[in-house]
Amino acid sequence: MEYQKKHNIFIRWFFDRPKTTGIITFLFLSYIVSFIVFQQYKITKEDDQREMNTILHVIRQNIEQSLKNCYTATLTLALTIDDHGIPKDFDSIGKSLIRSNSNISTVQLVPKGIIKYTYPIKGNESVMNLNILKDPYLKKEALKSIQTQKMYFAGPLKLKQGGIGIVGRLPIFENNKFWGFSAVIIKLETLLKSAGVDGIDNSKYYFQFSKYNTVNQKETFYLPNVSDFSNHFNISLKIPDGDWKLYIISKKQNYFQYQIIIPGIIGFFLAALFAFLIFKLLRVPQELQSLVSLQANKLLNSEIKFEAIFDQAAIGIAHIDSFTGRFIQVNNQYCQLLGYTQKEIKELNYQTLTHPDDLSEDLINIDKLREGITNNYAIEKRYITKSGNIIWINLTVSPLLKKEGKVISHIAIIENISLKKEAEELIKKSEIRFKSLFEEYPIALWEKDFSEVKIYLEKLNLMGENPETVFYYLQEHPEVVKKCISLVKIIDVNSMCLELHDVKTKDELTQGLTSLIDKKYIFDFKKQIFAITQGENQLITDTLIKTSKGELRDVKLRWSVIRGYEESLARTIVSTEDITVQKYNENIIQKAQQRIESLINTIDGIVWEFDLKSATYNFVSQKVKNLLGYMPEEWINNKSFWPDHIHPDDKEWVLNYIKIQTDANLNHDFEYRMIAKDGSIVWLRDIVHIVFEDGKPVSLRGIMIDVTKTKEAEKDLNASFDLVLEQNKRLLNFSYIISHNLRSHTSNISSIVSLMESSESEKERNDMMTLLKTVSCSLDETMLHLNEVINIRTNISLVSEPLNLQDYINRVTTILSKQISSNEVIIKTNIPENILINYNPAYLESILYNIISNSIRYKHPNRKPIIVISLLMENNIKILEISDNGIGIDLDKNGDKVFGMYKTFTDNLDSKGIGLFITKNQVDAMGGTITVESKLNIGSTFKIYIQ
Amino acid sequence: MTKKSIWVIDDDVIYQIIINKIIQRSEMFSSTSSFKNGKEAIDSLNNSLKNNSDLPDIILLDINMPIMDGWEFMEEMGLIKPKLKKDIIVYIVSSSIAIEDKNRSKTYANILGYLSKPVTVNDLVLIASSD
Repeated sequence: MEYQKKHNIFIRWFFDRPKTTGIITFLFLSYIVSFIVFQQYKITKEDDQREMNTILHVIRQNIEQSLKNCYTATLTLALTIDDHGIPKDFDSIGKSLIRSNSNISTVQLVPKGIIKYTYPIKGNESVMNLNILKDPYLKKEALKSIQTQKMYFAGPLKLKQGGIGIVGRLPIFENNKFWGFSAVIIKLETLLKSAGVDGIDNSKYYFQFSKYNTVNQKETFYLPNVSDFSNHFNISLKIPDGDWKLYIISKKQNYFQYQIIIPGIIGFFLAALFAFLIFKLLRVPQELQSLVSLQANKLLNSEIKFEAIFDQAAIGIAHIDSFTGRFIQVNNQYCQLLGYTQKEIKELNYQTLTHPDDLSEDLINIDKLREGITNNYAIEKRYITKSGNIIWINLTVSPLLKKEGKVISHIAIIENISLKKEAEELIKKSEIRFKSLFEEYPIALWEKDFSEVKIYLEKLNLMGENPETVFYYLQEHPEVVKKCISLVKIIDVNSMCLELHDVKTKDELTQGLTSLIDKKYIFDFKKQIFAITQGENQLITDTLIKTSKGELRDVKLRWSVIRGYEESLARTIVSTEDITVQKYNENIIQKAQQRIESLINTIDGIVWEFDLKSATYNFVSQKVKNLLGYMPEEWINNKSFWPDHIHPDDKEWVLNYIKIQTDANLNHDFEYRMIAKDGSIVWLRDIVHIVFEDGKPVSLRGIMIDVTKTKEAEKDLNASFDLVLEQNKRLLNFSYIISHNLRSHTSNISSIVSLMESSESEKERNDMMTLLKTVSCSLDETMLHLNEVINIRTNISLVSEPLNLQDYINRVTTILSKQISSNEVIIKTNIPENILINYNPAYLESILYNIISNSIRYKHPNRKPIIVISLLMENNIKILEISDNGIGIDLDKNGDKVFGMYKTFTDNLDSKGIGLFITKNQVDAMGGTITVESKLNIGSTFKIYIQ
Repeated sequence: MTKKSIWVIDDDVIYQIIINKIIQRSEMFSSTSSFKNGKEAIDSLNNSLKNNSDLPDIILLDINMPIMDGWEFMEEMGLIKPKLKKDIIVYIVSSSIAIEDKNRSKTYANILGYLSKPVTVNDLVLIASSD
């Protein structure tokens, strides 16, 4: 028993460890295989060795026999030598020796090492008289045999006679004195043949023959196949007579290794295979075992899970005895729902917990279940909790255990649906409230079902179609609209609705609906179709309906889908509010507004309103089109329209000004320019009032009046005022001139007169009289000049006409021809041919005359005068330019006096200081100006600007 | 009382004749010189300085003259003033009634007065005996 147990444990140990067992098996079998192979190898090897040994020994025996024969032969030869050391009957003895010894090819006697006798001579002539003791090739071995005093076989040697042979030499001593050698020659080939080497099995072995040097142990091989055979199995024997070694060599290289390796490999492979099979075999139960434990684990897990689910479930689960109604097992949720502990609840049954009103239904169901009539059931019922509260639960019962076809226990799953019940209650209440609200609502309400309309529209592929397509489709297919109207189902209407249509009952309304629909309604219904196709849920529109008496009423139709029915449109609420009175009032208001607006638009000014809060224009009257060319809409829609169109020169001050005024809550009235649409400038007077609401400024109202004409008149007025001012100034200036020039004469006259009065002699008086006459003349001349100037100034109706400039230049040069020729004046003109200028003819001639004559008069003494007359254009103004190379005028000193009256700058007696004065007056009178540029000693240039 | 020398600078030929007569009548001046414009007078002054000949005591100066007018003459005289060994008194004599000319005359230290034409014997007597 004890042993059995230990044995079992031992076995078990192996069964439990398939891998280890496999390895052990493998090692064990490997060992056996190695052992067998090794034995096999040993036997084979021994067999071979034995065979080879036998062969080799036979060969050696044969060779040794041959050598012995040789020995006998040499001895026989030695005995032929007589006492005088001369051989007798050498040839005949030699002949008989060779005949009896087929191996021996030649016999020799070599007295003192010199080959003297040889049989047969034939073939051996070449060695006769050869001193072998002196021949280096033969010397060594010959001496060896002398030394040992024994027969020694030299060679194999390369024979002089040809071939390879062995020379057996027997040293002969006479009276202990070396006489010479008795020698035999055996051909190696012959020797080996006679030794039976040819008889060796060539397929298995080959033979080798070597001589070894006893001194340095070096071996020399004589047969072919000398190649290294150390790898091959071989055995050898020595023949001391010639220091030879015989070899027999196995032909197969390491022949035995194959004998080991192949069976060894096969053996190991088999061992491994077997070990693997063992391993596999042992593994099977182990795998089965692990599968079992895995399944067991799973089972355990699901059991735990189930328990966890059971315990942690959010719903109450109970295992109940179907007969007694007692709880076998309940989960925590079940207990919690009812407010009992596990222990308490197990003392109770479900009948006591169930609300008495619900018990009977439950019992009927459980009976059916028990009898197998139903497989399970679910009901909603009430439980009474420990604290006495009633909770609504959803109960699902299914059978668990059966006995004899009858259910003995069942699983009850309960779910608290109190909240749901409450919600349902609320819904019910709100439904009722909705109904009463619907009914009592003071506006006509319809509950309508549009689902078929939607389906119809879907069929027509109009759902989600782009708005334009739908619009045109409905326009083209009025029958679709009518069809849609007919597809609307009326679910309910309220009493207000009946009142609106003046009918008594709902049926009356629904049946006579077609007659209550106005054309306008059909048109407006398109909007509802349109809204449906666009997926909208709400619509408000004004439309018309008819009462049963055919009266038309304006209604505001509000269509909206009840939440939750957006997809199907099965429930929609439509309200049709009677707005007939409202519409009527609106019309009145609208008309009044229109009247006001048309009134406003008749005002010759832009009436506007500006909202301060949004900083935008609320209103701009139509007059803006007439005054500025803009549309009121563009003004209103663009916040910066007004500032953008103020004249750039006015913009800054206008914006500043209105800001200051508005901030100070001051009404304002101001004028500025705006740019009209056609680019023209319009002067506007803007009268602005601030509108207050509750004491706060809310908007600005104003009117813009076109004051462009007034402004222009004002400008003209200013211009003429400036003109008058200028003329006044000139007049004053002129009066100064007059007074000064006249005064110089009058003062002279007065002086002369006083001198005359007080004169003491007649002569003096006469002198004075003469002087007086001179003064009178000068005065007259001055008066003449002044008259001329006054003429120019007062000549308002100056006639201008187109004049050929060149003609006038010619005319003046003709007048001045005398001066021109006498002074050798060169006049160059640089004016376009036939150019016409608008000027007064007399003035043009006078101006040209004055300036040209001045140029000649004030010529430079050192050069001929050159006068250049050109006509230039500058900013569209014609300029007549006359330049000379005369003495010039010092403008720094006299610039202000050049064009003054009686201003002269030289002591030239002709200078009167009147020419340029008149010229300037003439140019001024023509509305132009005259300027001068001049440099002393270089010349002067006059420019006359012609308006 | 020694009689003074007087220069008259004026471009009006008739006036020159008349003033000479009046100077004679006044019998207040030792000598009289006439010049047609400021330039001639300045040249004469420079010549007198060079030749160490007599300088005038009083100058009657017109304003509006060609080549060198009264004001220009005053500027030029200002330049040679340091060389002059005695003060020369200048009177502006003009037919002008322009207030500007009268005011301008006051800016020159050497101009002692402003006379409006016509000049009388009495005016000259006053001038001659003014210092």
